[in-house]
Amino acid sequence: MTAWLARRLLWGAATVLGVLGFLFVLFFATADPEDIAKRALGEKAPPEAVAQWIANHGYDRPRVWNPADPTDTMLFEHYRRMLAFDFGRSDADDVPIAQRLRAGVGVSLSLTVPLFLLGIPLALGASLLVAFFRETYIDRAGVVLAVVAMSVSILIYILAGQYVVGVLLRWFPISGFDIDPAVVARFLALPVGVGLLHGLGSDVRFYRTVFVEETSRDYVRTAFAKGAGDGRVMARHVLPNAMLPILTHEVVRIPGLFTGALLLESFFGIPGLGSMTVDAINANDFATLRVMVYVGALLFIAAQIATDVAYTVADPRVRLG
Amino acid sequence: MEAHVARNLLVAGLALAAGLAAWRVRRSPFWSERLAEVAWRRPLALAVIAGFAAVAALDTVSWRGAPEGAGLTEPRSALVRVFPDEFREASYSAPFADVEFYGGAPLRHPGRHVLGTDILGRDVLLLTLQGAKVALLVGGLTCLIAVPLALLFGVPAGWFGGRLDDLVFFLVSTLASMPSILLLIALVTAIGRGPVQVCFALAVTGWVGFCRLARAETLKIRELDYVQAARALGVPTRRILWRHVLPNLTHLIVITFVLTFSGLVLSEAVLSWLGLGLDGSWGQMIDQARDELSRAPVIWWNLGAASAALFTLILAVNRVGDAVRDVLDPRTVRERA
Amino acid sequence: MRLAAALALLALACGNNPYPGADDALRVLYTPYSEPPKTLDPQVAYATVDHDVLSNVYETLLEYHYLHRPYELIPALVTAVPEPRRLDGGGVAYAFELRPGIAYGADPCFALGTPGATSRELVASDVAFGLQRIADPAVGSPVLVTFAKIRGLAAFGERLAQRRAEQPGFAALRIDEQYRRAGPVEGLRVSDPHRLEIVLDAPYPQILYWFAMPFTSPVPWEAVAWYDGAAGRPLFPEVAVGTGPFRLARYDKRSRIVLDRNPDWWGVRHPEWKAPAATYPSDGEPDDAARGVLDPHLAGHPLPFLDRIEMRLEKETIPAFAKFMQGYYDRSAIPKESFDRTVSEGRLSPEMEAGGMRLERAVRPGVYYLGFNMIDPVVGAPAGERGRKLRQAMSLAVDVPEFLRVFLNRRGIPAQSPIPPGIFGHDPEYRNPYRSLDLERARALLAEAGYQGGFDPATGRPLRISFDTPDTTVQSRLRFQFLIDGWKRLGLDVELAATSYNQFRDKVRNGAYQLFFWGWVADYPDPENFLFLLWSEMAQTKSGGPNTANFSDPRFDALFHELKDRENDARRAALIREALALLESERPWIELFHPEDYALVHGWLDGLKPMGLPVPVWKYYAVEPEARAEARAAWNRPVRWPAYALAGLAAAGLAPALATWRRERRA
Repeated sequence: MTAWLARRLLWGAATVLGVLGFLFVLFFATADPEDIAKRALGEKAPPEAVAQWIANHGYDRPRVWNPADPTDTMLFEHYRRMLAFDFGRSDADDVPIAQRLRAGVGVSLSLTVPLFLLGIPLALGASLLVAFFRETYIDRAGVVLAVVAMSVSILIYILAGQYVVGVLLRWFPISGFDIDPAVVARFLALPVGVGLLHGLGSDVRFYRTVFVEETSRDYVRTAFAKGAGDGRVMARHVLPNAMLPILTHEVVRIPGLFTGALLLESFFGIPGLGSMTVDAINANDFATLRVMVYVGALLFIAAQIATDVAYTVADPRVRLG
Repeated sequence: MEAHVARNLLVAGLALAAGLAAWRVRRSPFWSERLAEVAWRRPLALAVIAGFAAVAALDTVSWRGAPEGAGLTEPRSALVRVFPDEFREASYSAPFADVEFYGGAPLRHPGRHVLGTDILGRDVLLLTLQGAKVALLVGGLTCLIAVPLALLFGVPAGWFGGRLDDLVFFLVSTLASMPSILLLIALVTAIGRGPVQVCFALAVTGWVGFCRLARAETLKIRELDYVQAARALGVPTRRILWRHVLPNLTHLIVITFVLTFSGLVLSEAVLSWLGLGLDGSWGQMIDQARDELSRAPVIWWNLGAASAALFTLILAVNRVGDAVRDVLDPRTVRERA
Repeated sequence: MRLAAALALLALACGNNPYPGADDALRVLYTPYSEPPKTLDPQVAYATVDHDVLSNVYETLLEYHYLHRPYELIPALVTAVPEPRRLDGGGVAYAFELRPGIAYGADPCFALGTPGATSRELVASDVAFGLQRIADPAVGSPVLVTFAKIRGLAAFGERLAQRRAEQPGFAALRIDEQYRRAGPVEGLRVSDPHRLEIVLDAPYPQILYWFAMPFTSPVPWEAVAWYDGAAGRPLFPEVAVGTGPFRLARYDKRSRIVLDRNPDWWGVRHPEWKAPAATYPSDGEPDDAARGVLDPHLAGHPLPFLDRIEMRLEKETIPAFAKFMQGYYDRSAIPKESFDRTVSEGRLSPEMEAGGMRLERAVRPGVYYLGFNMIDPVVGAPAGERGRKLRQAMSLAVDVPEFLRVFLNRRGIPAQSPIPPGIFGHDPEYRNPYRSLDLERARALLAEAGYQGGFDPATGRPLRISFDTPDTTVQSRLRFQFLIDGWKRLGLDVELAATSYNQFRDKVRNGAYQLFFWGWVADYPDPENFLFLLWSEMAQTKSGGPNTANFSDPRFDALFHELKDRENDARRAALIREALALLESERPWIELFHPEDYALVHGWLDGLKPMGLPVPVWKYYAVEPEARAEARAAWNRPVRWPAYALAGLAAAGLAPALATWRRERRA
C-alpha cells in the first residue's frame, strides 16, 4: 500500500511539473512582456516606464536558456517560485496574488459549496424518485425532462434566470455580492438556483443509470423475493452500493469548488476566484493565471489520489497493484 | 482553387462518404440491425438532425451568379438564394411586421420576415438557419480531430503498455489537470480564432476522456482468445491493430461521437460569450441578443430563435445519443438481455 | 413536509435589496462603475473610473466652476487663479498662494515625519513633490511631455535616474531623501510654506487647465514612503491620502469602493472662508434654475452634502440600468437598449416622469472618428491624388445620422470637424462638404481615382481595405459591420480585422494597418487638445504618439505651431479655419460624431449637472433618503404567486403516483 501511495504521489508531482511547463510554453507563445506592461500601465505609458516595469517583474531575463547563469532564466524562476508557493504580485496591478487568493477563496466557496452540497441531495432525491417509480410515467417523464434540461445552454439558464427572477418576479437582486451576513443569502440564491438547475439534468440521468444498474442486480432481486418493501430495498441496499460510482463522480468535482464557477461568478458579479481568472485572462495577467492553474492542478491531483485511496478502503474487491 | 469551390467539393465528398458508410452498414448484419433499432426508437430526433444537416449542406454549397458590370459577383449559397435578394431592412422589426420596430418606417419586405430582423436588419430566420452549419462544423470537425488523436495515443498505450503507457498516462494527466476552460481560452488566444483553430482547441481539451476509454478497451481486447491466437501466430502488430482492435472500438467511437457532439456545441456557445467563438454561430447570436431582453417592449425573437435552434439540435442529438448507447454499449446490451 | 416549509420560508424572506437595511436613513450616494480602477496614484491615473474615485480624496490647486459654461477656472487649494508673469529671456512664471490651515485626512503614514502624528498641514513643498513625481521615471507618469515645459523638471528626472543607477544604495533611500539629493528643480520655487512659483520655458496658457487635473495634486511624501508594500501594507496606487472632502474607507476595487465623509476637511472646518470650491455656487447658466440645480437648499450652502458614497462594480450596463430602475442606484447612463422606453422626442416618458426621474444631457467634449493610416501605400499619402480621392469617396459613404439612430438612439451630434461644441474654434454653421452621405459623388470620385465601381484594376476584384480594431466585443462588430455595409455599396471590400489589443498594438507599431476607429475626449477645453492629434510630431508609428493616423503635412504643422499657444483671439480662429479646410480635402480622418451623454437621475438626487470633464462633482450632490426608501419599497414588491403555482403543479404531478404507491403498499 505504501509503495503504491509513494508511486502515486511521485506521479502526481511529475504531472504538476508537466502542467507548469505546458502553461509556460503556451502563455509565452501568445503575449510578450511589453504588451503585458502596456496593459498594466496603460497605453499612454512612456517607454521608460514600460522598460522599468519589465525589469521590475523579471521579464527581461532570457526565457529558457542562459549560458552565463542557468538559474537566471524566466523558466527557472517560474518553477522555483511555484514550487516554493511564492506567488508574487499580479501583472495587472501589483497586488499580491496570495492576498487575492485569500480574499477570493471565501467568496467562491460561499457560492460553490452550497451549490455542491445542495446539488447532491437534490439530484439523488430526484433520481431516487425516478428510479423508485421505474417504468411508470414518472420515470419516463423524468428521463425526458432530464435530457431536456441538459440540452439547454447554461447561458440561457443564466439569462432567463436573471430576467424572470430578477426583473419580472423581483425575488432576488439581479447580480452583485456582499459578504455581509444580513444580505449574502439574497445574492447567492439566484446563482445557486441557476447552477443547480443547470446541473440537475445530467446528474439525474447519470444517477438514475447507476441506480437502475444496481437495482437489476441479483442481490436486490433476492431482497425483494425475501419480502422487503420497495423503500427499504432502495435505502438500505441500492443506495450504499451505488454511492461508490456516485462518490467518484462527485469527488472529482471538488477542485472545481475552489477555482470557482467561472460563468456564474462573471454573470452575477461575484468577486471570487472564477471571476478573478476571467479578468486575468482578459488582461493577459500571466502571474495570476499561472497561480490559478497551479492551484487547480494540485487540488485535482490530490482529489484523484484521495479517490483512489477511498476506493481501496471502501471496496475490498478493488486491489491496486 | 477558390474557397467556395473547395467547400462545394467538401460537401460532395461528405455525401460520398455518407453513401459509402451506408453501403457498408447494409453489408454488415451487426450494424444494420443496431442502426435500424435506433431509427425505430427515435425517428423524430433523427429526422430533426437530418433536417439540420440538409440545411447546413444547402448553406455550404454556393456558386456565383451572372456577372454584373465590370466584375465578378460574390458566390452565394443555395440557402441564401431561397430568400429574396437584398432581404434586409434598416434595423429591428418584429416577426411578420409591416413597419420597423423603432420609428415605424415601412419595411422593404413587409410581412415576409417570419422571425423578424436583428439590429442590422438581417432576417433572423436566415441567420438561424446559417447557424446550423456552424454548429455541425464545430461538432463534426472537433470530433474528427479528437477521435483519431485519442486513438493514436490510447490504443498503443493499451496495447504496448510499459513505458509508452506511462508516457501517455503522463500526457493525459497533465492535460486533464488543467481547468479545461482556461486551457481552451489560452489555446484559442494562441492559435487564432478561425474555425479550424477553435475546433482544434476544443479537440485538444476534449480528447482525454476517449483516450482513457480507448486504452481500457484495448487492454481488454488484447486478452481476447482470437487476438491472443493472432499474436501467437506472429501476425504483424499493425495488422492486428487495424483488423482486430480498431473494428472492436467502432461502437465506442460512435457512442463517443454522438455523446460529445452536444457538449461541444454548448461549449462553443460559452466561447462565443467570451468573444472567442465562431462567426455566425447560435452562441454568438445569443451573445449579441443578450441585452435585448431588457428593452421595453421586449425584443425576444433574436434570442428566442437562436436558443430554440440550439436547444432543438442538442435535444435531438442527446436523444439519439442515448438510444445509440443503449443499443451499442455492451454493458447495457447485456443488461437488457 | 420539511422541504415544503423551507421553501415557504425562502419565499417569504426573499427580497432584491442589495444593501443592508441599516443604511436606509443615511445620506448615501449609490453609483455603479464599469471596471476596476487601474491605479489611485494621482500622477499616473488617466482613466475615468480612477479619477472618479481619487478626485474626491486628492484635491487640486484649481478647479472648474461647477455651473458656469464655457468652463471657467476657480481657485481650490489656492486663494486665487494666478496670472502669468513674463520673465526676461522668454520664460513665464505663475505664483500659487496656498490657503493656510489645510490638513490631510487622518492616516498612519504621517508618523514617518513626526512620531505619533496622524495628520499634518498641507504645504507648498507637497505640491512640488507631486510635480517632481511626474518626472520620476519609476512612477511612470504619462504626462511628463507636458510638464517638461517646467524649467528643469525633465533634467531632475534624469538626474534621479542616473543616481539610482550609479550610486549603490541610493535607490534604497527614503523617497523624500532621494528627491532632495537629486537636486532642486529650477522651475519649482518654494519660497515659503504656502507659496509655490512655477517657471515655464515658453508661454503655455493651457498649463492652468492642467492644474485642475489630478496630475498636479499635492501628495504627502510620507504616503509614498509608507505605502511601499512591506509588512503587509498596500502599495501607494491602492490607497488615497489627501486633503479632500471624502476619505477612502474601503477599496475592494473588484466589487465595492466606499468613500466616507471627511469631518476634518478644510471646507467643513472653515466655512467662513466661503471658498468657491467648498461652497455650492449661487449663480450659473440661464436655465440652471429651471433644471433645479440652483434650488435654495443647495445654493450658497457649504459642501459636501453626502455622508457616504457607495460604488459597486457593474460590468454589464443592462443589470446596472435594471437596478437603477429598481431604485438601487441613484443615477444611471441610459443604455441604448432602454432608450426608447425612457426618452422620446428628447423628453422622458410619462412613466418615468411619474416616478420622479429627471433626464440630464450634455455633449461630451470629444470626437469619434475613423482614421486612415497616412503612410499606407494604398490609402495614405504615398498614393497621392489617387489616395486622396479614395479617402474622400469613403468619407462620402458613411451615413452618420443613421448610425447614430441605430446604435446610439441619436445620442450624438454628427461631427463636421475634430473640434466639438463648447470648444473654441467650433463653428456650429460649418459644414464639411465630405461629411454628408452622397453616394453618387463618391462613386464618381472613386472612378476618378482609378477604382471604377470599386474594382482594383490590378486584381480585377473589389479593392480590399483592412479595417483594424482591438475591440472584439459583439456590440462593436455590429457597428463596424454597419460601416462596412456602407462602403460595400460603393463596391469596396472592407474587411474587418478584429484582434486582441496586443496584436492591434503590434500592427500599429509596424504601420501595418489601413483604417481604424478611435475616440478622443478632451483633457481640457482647448482646441489644441484636439488638433494635436494630427500633428506630425505626435505620429504614432514614428514616435509612439497619439496621432495614430500618422498624418504629416507641413502646411498643417505650420498652422498648428502658430495656433497652439495663442490666446483665443480672431487670428487663432482664422488659423483654425484654415487648418480645418486643409483637413477637409486631405481626409486623414472621417469624423463621425461628438458623443452626447444622457443620464437618468432619480428625483431624490439633487445638485447634478453633467460636467463632461474629469472633475470632482460628488461633493455637489445631495440625496433625500426618506423619499428614496419610500420609492424602493413601492417599486420592489416581490411577485409571489408563481412560486405557489409551481408548488401546486408539482404536487398535482406526483399525486397519482403517490396514490398508486400507497395502494400497492396496502395490498
